[in-house]
Amino acid sequence: MKTSDIYILCIEDEHEVLDAVVRDLEKLEDQFPVETATSAEEASEVIGKLLEENKKIGLVLCDHILPGENGIELLIELHKNEKTHNTRKVLLTGQAGLDDTVKALNQARLHHYIAKPWSKEELLEVAVELLTDYVIEQEENILPYMSSLNANRLSESIRTRRSVSDG
Amino acid sequence: MKVAFPGLTSIQSAGLILGVIGLFVPLLLPLDSLSVAGQLSLGIFFMAAIFWMFEPIPIFATSMLVILLQIVLLSAQGPVYTNAELPVDKPVTLEDHNWQIPSSAIRDDETIIVAVAPGETESIEVEIIDRNGKHVIVRSTELTSDHAVITRPEHRLVNYKPNSYTDYLGTLANPIIILFLGGFMLAEASVKYNLDKNLTRYLLHPFGSQPRFIVLGLMLVTAVLSAFMSNTATAAMMITVILPIIAQLEPGDRFKYGLALSIPIAANIGGITTPIGTPPNAIVIAALTEYGISISFTDWIIITAPLVLVMLLFSWWLLLTLFPPSVKRFQLIMEGTFSLSPKAVGLYVIFGITVLLWVTENSHGIPSSMVAFLPVAALVTGGILNKNDIRKLPWEVLWLMAGGISLGIGMDKTGLAVWMISAMDWSSLGYIALILAFSAVAMIMSNFLSNTVTATLLMPLVISLHVSGIMGDQFNLVITGVIIAVACSLAMALPISTPPNAIAMSTGIFRTKDMAKMGIIIGIVGVMLILAYAIFFWPLVIN
Repeated sequence: MKTSDIYILCIEDEHEVLDAVVRDLEKLEDQFPVETATSAEEASEVIGKLLEENKKIGLVLCDHILPGENGIELLIELHKNEKTHNTRKVLLTGQAGLDDTVKALNQARLHHYIAKPWSKEELLEVAVELLTDYVIEQEENILPYMSSLNANRLSESIRTRRSVSDG
Repeated sequence: MKVAFPGLTSIQSAGLILGVIGLFVPLLLPLDSLSVAGQLSLGIFFMAAIFWMFEPIPIFATSMLVILLQIVLLSAQGPVYTNAELPVDKPVTLEDHNWQIPSSAIRDDETIIVAVAPGETESIEVEIIDRNGKHVIVRSTELTSDHAVITRPEHRLVNYKPNSYTDYLGTLANPIIILFLGGFMLAEASVKYNLDKNLTRYLLHPFGSQPRFIVLGLMLVTAVLSAFMSNTATAAMMITVILPIIAQLEPGDRFKYGLALSIPIAANIGGITTPIGTPPNAIVIAALTEYGISISFTDWIIITAPLVLVMLLFSWWLLLTLFPPSVKRFQLIMEGTFSLSPKAVGLYVIFGITVLLWVTENSHGIPSSMVAFLPVAALVTGGILNKNDIRKLPWEVLWLMAGGISLGIGMDKTGLAVWMISAMDWSSLGYIALILAFSAVAMIMSNFLSNTVTATLLMPLVISLHVSGIMGDQFNLVITGVIIAVACSLAMALPISTPPNAIAMSTGIFRTKDMAKMGIIIGIVGVMLILAYAIFFWPLVIN
């Protein structure tokens, strides 16, 4: 499978948890390179570097409690940044209170909330669906993603949006 | 070392450079037998062919560029031909059929050119009596004092009467393009109101739950839909129908290869059936119409449907043989109901009337392109399609076809097509060999290039082969045109051959070699079948 320029970013301060997330997303890694960060500051650096290289960030999975700036603030920043505005944003957390969750929803347009502990199937499915959304919305040629993402929805989008036509 | 323009691969970059060189090369070569306009047209042809092959720019962009170059370089109003006048001089009468003419008028083979009518010239043989500096005294019995002798035989207006730029721009409103526009708008509305899905569900119902008949059903429905809708949209829709079936099969089951391959194969073949089925049909019909032969919607179906049906049944048999069903029966999961909102019902009515009028063209005689404006106007009048829907139409396909038609007009008008034909010795080819050659060449080209582009590049040759009369009475223009259209659509050995192939391949359900195996067998059988129809069947239905 050809590697795309769409990245997945995982931000989590506990190494074991971070490893588990990356392991669960293994199936997608061939096409969507996974980058990791253990704090919001490190995440901002990684994002800055990727954007500089003209890469795109398709999906961010972010823990709520991080050293320094917390996950919610980071997601809000990403939402405000034009280049990561369309990035699909997932909060992966065990402790977020109602206030923080509402804040993430309202101010960062959070796409999904995954409560710890999660199952591998759940995490993978959420990632596939959100990346499918991202690809349909952002990519001109969606065919390379048919075999790894939701083929049904991608075909449906070819049917309705006519992104591929007879030649 | 890899050299490339920004945003292009090195192959595309090479294509870009080659194409630009191709545009100018004919003007630098000594092509005496070709008029200046023919040379300009050859340059445009080279550039277009190279751009279409290497795709440094999208294929529809090349089509638009062709039209731009034609209106600039070839049209009567373009900078090259506006204000252009043939340099002529009256011959001065001496005695005894002796004339004095400017010495520049004499060509190497001792002939001169005289203007007969605008754009029409005649070559006259003369006998040189005496050369006298700027003038020559010649003897000729053909020359009269009414003749205008062309003083510069190499002038750009010799053998060429430029046509108006509106002829090239007007290709976008060519009747066949309007026919496609009608088809596109019907398809757009069908997708919007899910008519395509609901029809599929309804039509698949009678095929039961036995795998072999479900495959047959899938292929027939795909073919019927792709005869009226775009092959690509049909294939994308049908992929959503087969994915749930494939999910019911064991992971290693080879039957799923067959299932997934059945869709692009049927979509490619189905497109042959009607004039609006796929763009190459339009290129062929437009070229024939330009030449004065009209083929009705009904005629086209009568000519192609028997071949389509045989190809479908053969492909079905082949798929089941190579990838036999592993389960006794399975469930087709399709949900939905026909929408009964007033707008949806309006669509059903307009769709029904339009298709009925199209297929019965021979009994009422209303041209299909005129009928096509019924859905165009009615769908927007009824608010069934709105402004945003119209914006979503595949306009680039219309431009692709318009550029192709325009290229053909230019090649014909400038005498380029006839010149290209005369460069080859065709008479040594028999009619059968010619048919084989055309179908094989079209199929090979179309496996690698866009089907529309292949038809565009080959049709001018077919037309001028007919005009030149080299092949004699046996040559049938309509049959040869149909062969091009059919062969272009039957090329499906590679993922890049057609968009439906690309979509099916991208699902990752089967391997490239499975597609290649099916495609090559279908291609070979297809050429044989084309030959058989061209000899035994088409002469009966085409007169």
